Amino acid sequence: MFVTLPEFEYHRPQTVSAALDLLDQYGGGATVMAGGTDLLVDMRYRIRVPEHVIDLKGIEELGKLTFQPGEGLVIGATVTLNRLLEYDAVQSRFGALHDALEDMCDDQVRNRATLAGNLCTASPAADCAPPLLVFDAKVEVASPAGRRMVDLPDLFTGVKETSLGTDEMVTAVHVPEPPPDVQSRYLKGKRSSEDCAIVGVAALVARWDDPRDRVVRLAYSSVAPTPVRVYDVERIFRQDKPWGDLVEEAVSAALNRVSPISDVRSSKEYRVHLIDVLTRLALRELLGGRR
Amino acid sequence: MTQRIELVINDRCRTVEVASNTTLLEMLRDQLKFKSVKPGCWRGDCGLCLVLIDGRPIKSCLVLAQELDDREVVTVEGLLDNGNITRLHQSFIEKGALQCGYCTPAFLLASEALLRRNPHPTRERVCESMNGILCRCTGYKQIVDAILAASE
Repeated sequence: MFVTLPEFEYHRPQTVSAALDLLDQYGGGATVMAGGTDLLVDMRYRIRVPEHVIDLKGIEELGKLTFQPGEGLVIGATVTLNRLLEYDAVQSRFGALHDALEDMCDDQVRNRATLAGNLCTASPAADCAPPLLVFDAKVEVASPAGRRMVDLPDLFTGVKETSLGTDEMVTAVHVPEPPPDVQSRYLKGKRSSEDCAIVGVAALVARWDDPRDRVVRLAYSSVAPTPVRVYDVERIFRQDKPWGDLVEEAVSAALNRVSPISDVRSSKEYRVHLIDVLTRLALRELLGGRR
Repeated sequence: MTQRIELVINDRCRTVEVASNTTLLEMLRDQLKFKSVKPGCWRGDCGLCLVLIDGRPIKSCLVLAQELDDREVVTVEGLLDNGNITRLHQSFIEKGALQCGYCTPAFLLASEALLRRNPHPTRERVCESMNGILCRCTGYKQIVDAILAASE
């Protein structure tokens, strides 16, 4: 095992434009660091060996965390998981995200790890991803050419791969304000508290009482090379059919969309079983007696 | 390449020359000889290298020493009250919350941070706050008992 980190040059810019200049100057030899909880482990194991590490924590703008009615939640790139977990608006309006945060890593790592970092690591098992997918989150990306908004599904291109260019960095995650009656949950099948998900499912329900305008969304982690949202679900739940039929169709739609594998945590067959069980459980928890 | 940083450790200002690839764990344990900061997994799993940074419990193997310029760090030595042990230490002794002692600095620091923010936590909250630290001797019950007893 490699105990010592490889050598690199450490940079701590004060502004986004200074960080972008460094990225531009060093090209593929540089990497940005937010919390560093994934990056430093990868560096220790020589999975990533950047010559330049650009620490974003000195950039004041990236530490902002705001919720404005109408605008929604804006989460700067260096906002830690614990800051989010303690933020009132997350608990009151973004239940699935709160569920995911509560069960991620541990209290000490959550004091360092960031939401933006979790998304940029782009693990198929990223717990924050399914909740953010059902909330229609977008990622704000900065490059020398300016800033652009990327729909979250377009950020993920493969296992631990993103669509970000070497001269780009995520500056914030934007989550639109959900409908007022929204309810959401994130359920996770796992082996132990600090282990990553065997299967994770985020479910969101709003405007249930009006079948034509009903919003039901499902998204999953650990079931495909990237976190996935099952878009067919929204259409399925707008049909005038008995509850049981709708759930059957939703589970089938989810199973059609995913491509689970067998690995050290679970067999493919068990993942399929968990997708079925957790989807039903999440919908039942959200809808209770209303169906 | 090294850089000089200034920080406060256990209420004392220090100036340290650190290499870019030195973690806070290596700086504290190897350079400054705070041997209470224990190495374990070196990847953020075991929690034995825990210290308080600006009052928050953090695993020092996942922090670059250079990030600590102008910040405040507390190791277990910093929990003493004028050289005397506190109620929390006493509670660990009374409840038998340690055997080999390797994880004890981490549990003391994490529980101090918890009790400062939440003076009367539930048992569930204590377990939640401690689940990032591994103890291979006690089975945790005594540790949780000690923290709860100190909070009464």
